[in-house]
Amino acid sequence: MKKIGRGIGLSFYGTGYGNGFPDVSKARVRLLEGGKVGIYVGGTEVGQGAKTVLTQIGAETLKMPVEDIVFVHEDTVHMPDAGTAAASRQTYNTGNAIRVACENFRNKLKELAREHLALNSIYGLKVENGKIYLDFFPQKSLSFEELFEKSSKGDIEAEGEFVAQTVMMEEETGQGAPYWPYTFNACGVELEVDTLTGLVEIRKAVFAQDVGRAINPHLVEGQMDGGFAMALGYVLFEDLNLKEGKINNNKFSKYLIPTAMDTLEIEKIIVEDPESTAPYGAKGIGEPTMIPVGPAILNAIYDAIGVRITELPVTPERLVKAIQEHEKEKGEVK
Amino acid sequence: MKKISLNVNGKDHILEVEEDMRLIDLLREKLGLTGVKEGCSEGECGACTVIMDGEVVNSCLVMAFQAEGSSILTIEGLGDEENIHPIQQAFIDVGAVQCGYCTPGMILAAKALLDKNPNPTEEEIREAISGNLCRCTGYNKIVQAIDRAKEVLR
Repeated sequence: MKKIGRGIGLSFYGTGYGNGFPDVSKARVRLLEGGKVGIYVGGTEVGQGAKTVLTQIGAETLKMPVEDIVFVHEDTVHMPDAGTAAASRQTYNTGNAIRVACENFRNKLKELAREHLALNSIYGLKVENGKIYLDFFPQKSLSFEELFEKSSKGDIEAEGEFVAQTVMMEEETGQGAPYWPYTFNACGVELEVDTLTGLVEIRKAVFAQDVGRAINPHLVEGQMDGGFAMALGYVLFEDLNLKEGKINNNKFSKYLIPTAMDTLEIEKIIVEDPESTAPYGAKGIGEPTMIPVGPAILNAIYDAIGVRITELPVTPERLVKAIQEHEKEKGEVK
Repeated sequence: MKKISLNVNGKDHILEVEEDMRLIDLLREKLGLTGVKEGCSEGECGACTVIMDGEVVNSCLVMAFQAEGSSILTIEGLGDEENIHPIQQAFIDVGAVQCGYCTPGMILAAKALLDKNPNPTEEEIREAISGNLCRCTGYNKIVQAIDRAKEVLR
């Protein structure tokens, strides 16, 4: 018999290493030939979109087009450490480091412009679209390109650092503030359980993710789709089949992950509530997008057939067995 | 050793190959076409997908000598930055690329589909790329990209 159920899952998730552990990102910004700006940061792009988002943060801070930013990463000879691409921390932590570095760079440019333009101070100077100019007398202006030519080429640079603020939990009491900031999300699914075969088919899914601010909504959606699909595999298919410490399902012919036939278009809701300590309000969402999917699916299975599943993955064999045990228990109660 | 002749990305080649060489090794090592990715080496993941005489194949499961007389298309032959193919452009526009490892295979699977069926349904698109695993995207933007490319190509 086919039964339909609905369930929701909610989660909140802390950004970064947390628990008082030193979580440091550094960035360097340098003026380049032709008035372009190089951002050097050891933050790894693994497909999550860090390179895009971090470039956008730099361009926003320097008020210049992203095309004029040269973003260089993953080469430790040329750049300071920005920590791991892990803990959903690059947008928040490294984004903050880049913002600080760009602000320092902007001040440096103003100071140099003051000298070259023979001004009394840096007040009233604006940095925008590749030039430094006096807001109330824009004829006093110096382009990034001109400034580069006047310099000893490559020596105009600034650095920035961001150290996340978290407080270690007290061992005795468990009290503390182990993470900051947190992201929040909710997932809802409607599914169909075939009680004869134990197959679960997701019919509909909705996912709402708080991101602080979506610096790149396309990429946020990509993370939500990806997190949902990975969780779907985790909940329904993926089984290492450990026997005495040995992984038996050690290849894709045995360890099944979702294909395009298993996933579905999900309704995605991006919730924007800017975080005051974040770069332009943005928080990382790499990992959190996976978390509420499991509870949502398990709750929907319970809603459909009244059986609580406590072991993952919910393979057809396991589900049929759980249904049979449930029926037996019900029989005994009667 | 065995001498074979084949056409790869529009160019004829005559090559000496070992009897136990796979097509993926011929493409990557003899011809330097590293857009052909090796994933699982057992025909499950589709990262090594190429188009052989109009059909998608996992080049890890085809022996090099079996390619004798055939015509092969890899991602390098589909388009490049100067001369980008509409499917590639659609992947960029929609944001269907994350880590990128599955992307060459995905695009070639899409090409083979659209060559045969210029107006596939969403279901047919999903089926056509079901032999290509992706761990990043959840497939939705890939499906959207192929759907968009189909409109451009028609």
